[in-house]
Amino acid sequence: MKKYEAVFVIVNAGFSDAVMEAAREAGVTGGTVLNARGTANPQAERFFGLTIEPNKDMIMILIDSEIKEKVLHTLYREVGLKTACQGIAFTLPVNDVVGLTPPRKVEQPEETKAAEEATDQAQEEIVLEEIAETIQGE
Amino acid sequence: MATDKTKTKSPSKTKTPKRSASAKAAKPQNLAPHKLMLLITVVPRSKAEFYLDLLQQFEVNLQMEVSAFGTATKTFGFLESAMEKQALFTVIREDNVPKALAALEEKFETIRGGKGIACTIPFTSMVGVLAYQFLSNKQ
Repeated sequence: MKKYEAVFVIVNAGFSDAVMEAAREAGVTGGTVLNARGTANPQAERFFGLTIEPNKDMIMILIDSEIKEKVLHTLYREVGLKTACQGIAFTLPVNDVVGLTPPRKVEQPEETKAAEEATDQAQEEIVLEEIAETIQGE
Repeated sequence: MATDKTKTKSPSKTKTPKRSASAKAAKPQNLAPHKLMLLITVVPRSKAEFYLDLLQQFEVNLQMEVSAFGTATKTFGFLESAMEKQALFTVIREDNVPKALAALEEKFETIRGGKGIACTIPFTSMVGVLAYQFLSNKQ
């Protein structure tokens, strides 16, 4: 069974396309963009001489946990704090996912399973017989 | 007299908390027997109300909806409205999660234009007994 993780990326407003571009490089297919507002510490802003854009885009991406490292590294490189996006990314463990995976197969009762297996075997035997007949004819 | 009284009372006072402490250590109280989960559902904006009502059936007391956008690549004939999504954040008790997810999965497959995704993230901690009782819908 596949394991999934939810990646949350918070970047300056308007940079969601850059995030998705970087994420697609790492094998992500799609995500969801939410608008948010950041609240930085004003004293820290003054101390470091920074101006922090309060409007943010928060991108939520569900990924296979196998590609988590790759996605995070790509996001750090392309949209990290050292870029204009000033992005931070983190992942959260996800227990159950619905809508990404193909629909589950309905469990069949034992009787129908046995009947299906019997018909499959009978069909295989018929095919083998036909092949043997054609070989003999040749 | 007063001093005598205090002297006679003091040993019993000191003993009782010791007993309760040891009892607590032996059998710790489970203050939060029902685990909570955050169910995140992303659905088309036009169907958000329907999914909110659907999730309401599973003893849910708190739901939040946030406007969002999908990031599908735009192709010819692709409508802008198809990108408009609604993210639903639902706090749900763990024992109700399988039923809720099964209901969501069924609706995702059957409703035309109602495809979405859903996932659950476990709560690790929370503060406030009343808030916990409210969210878990248990007294």
